[in-house]
Amino acid sequence: MIVADKKPIEEIIDYVKDYQSILVLGCNECVTVCEVGGKKEVGLLASALRMHFLQQGGEVNIGERTLERQCDHEYLEEIRDNIDHYEAVVSIACGVGVQFTAEKYQTKPVYPGVNTLFMGANEARGVWSERCQGCGQCILAISGGICPVSRCAKRILNGPCGGSTAGKCEISKDIPCGWQLIIDRLKALGRMDDYEKINPIKNWSTERAGGPRKVIREDLKL
Amino acid sequence: MGLKDKIEAGEFTILAEMEPPKGVDVSVMLSNAKRVKDGVDAFVIPEMGNAVMRMSSLGGAMVLQNEGLPTVFQVCCRDRNRLAIQGDLLAAHALGINTVMAVIGEDPSFGDHHQARSVNDVDLFELIKAIDRLNQGKDMAGIELAGAPDFLIGSTTEAGAKGKSTEVEMEEMMKRVEAGARFLITSPIFDPSLLDPYKKRIDLRKVAVIPTVMLLKSLGMARYLVRNLPHLHISETIIDRIARAPDKVRECVQIATETVRELKHQGFNGVYLSTLGWENKLPEIIEGI
Repeated sequence: MIVADKKPIEEIIDYVKDYQSILVLGCNECVTVCEVGGKKEVGLLASALRMHFLQQGGEVNIGERTLERQCDHEYLEEIRDNIDHYEAVVSIACGVGVQFTAEKYQTKPVYPGVNTLFMGANEARGVWSERCQGCGQCILAISGGICPVSRCAKRILNGPCGGSTAGKCEISKDIPCGWQLIIDRLKALGRMDDYEKINPIKNWSTERAGGPRKVIREDLKL
Repeated sequence: MGLKDKIEAGEFTILAEMEPPKGVDVSVMLSNAKRVKDGVDAFVIPEMGNAVMRMSSLGGAMVLQNEGLPTVFQVCCRDRNRLAIQGDLLAAHALGINTVMAVIGEDPSFGDHHQARSVNDVDLFELIKAIDRLNQGKDMAGIELAGAPDFLIGSTTEAGAKGKSTEVEMEEMMKRVEAGARFLITSPIFDPSLLDPYKKRIDLRKVAVIPTVMLLKSLGMARYLVRNLPHLHISETIIDRIARAPDKVRECVQIATETVRELKHQGFNGVYLSTLGWENKLPEIIEGI
């Protein structure tokens, strides 16, 4: 899922301090699962904003709405009839949702209420960690199913580097060395022959370095 | 008078592009530079223009500086992060380079290493500010330097490019000047009148605007540029002139010379002669100015 984290309330207040009516817009997908942008969090943020404006002595209308997804036209259309009741929107979807909402409602200011972080997994209750950077050319088949692009701090394809110590990465004792994980996994699979192979230099043009990316599926287009 | 003094004094300067080799044989670059050194104020060494891998700007600049030829070192956002950029700048100054030009750099997809990852850790505006900050004795982390450089800072402008908003470009120019740029080099200009809206609004005493005069090499090249680089304005008159000329290369050189003369006449602070590997044509252009 796409993992996000809360923005400091002070930052959100600073974005919207001059508006008299604000819609807090949540999303039922990834940000609900990582408990930062779903219906519950919409309620919490809306309450926090109301309290702030009350303390400031102002009367600000704070609306609440949570869409099934903010990354699909059909769901975003659901707010078309009442978006004009609000001067601004705080979207607590991921960055995709914020942008898609802004694209759809061109004259409505849309502010982000969360910091979108990465594509990751729910390791344990309250713990999410990165697993994929969407590099556009998956190499998990040759690395034992553990990604050196997202798990190695240096994104090296032939590791580990000299900074790997006792299975930990040089940037923090709390971060496992991605290449140690790969080696352990290849050992467990009995595939250490794969580790002996030199991985070729990566084609980064399929990653963000190649510019904004797009998938066009002619078989699905209407 | 050095480039820095001439720009400060508002005198007309001639900068010439000197592409470093794709390899280690610097003899052609050196001989081309030496042939025109008396007519040129400084040689601008592109930092892998069009994202084609070749000797770095710093390396090429040092080769020329070692021969007593003044250079402008291009520092580029595309290939280096803030550590490398600042480190190279300090090295450049310590080695005698005192003029730098901040550029964004074309995307690797334009060049010959399509699969490369661009860095763009620092954007152009931040880069100019960072050089200015180094001049003031501090790095981007705010840490004091043991000896500050004293760079004359330049950058680029899209002023005169087709399809650009004059308003936006003026804003961009002013932002770059406020960040520390003292000279701005334009995109290739084939029709000086395209710079009129900017000339009226910009104080050429505060910032030296140096139009690029690109040497067309052939009719084919001119047509290619028209087709593929829509921001360049090459008029039908120019295309016709080249098409009708019995000696097309000579005509191209003549067009470049006339453009320089016109820009000088209009009071611009200088020109940047871009010859894209045909640096051996520089003497003809310069002699005609």
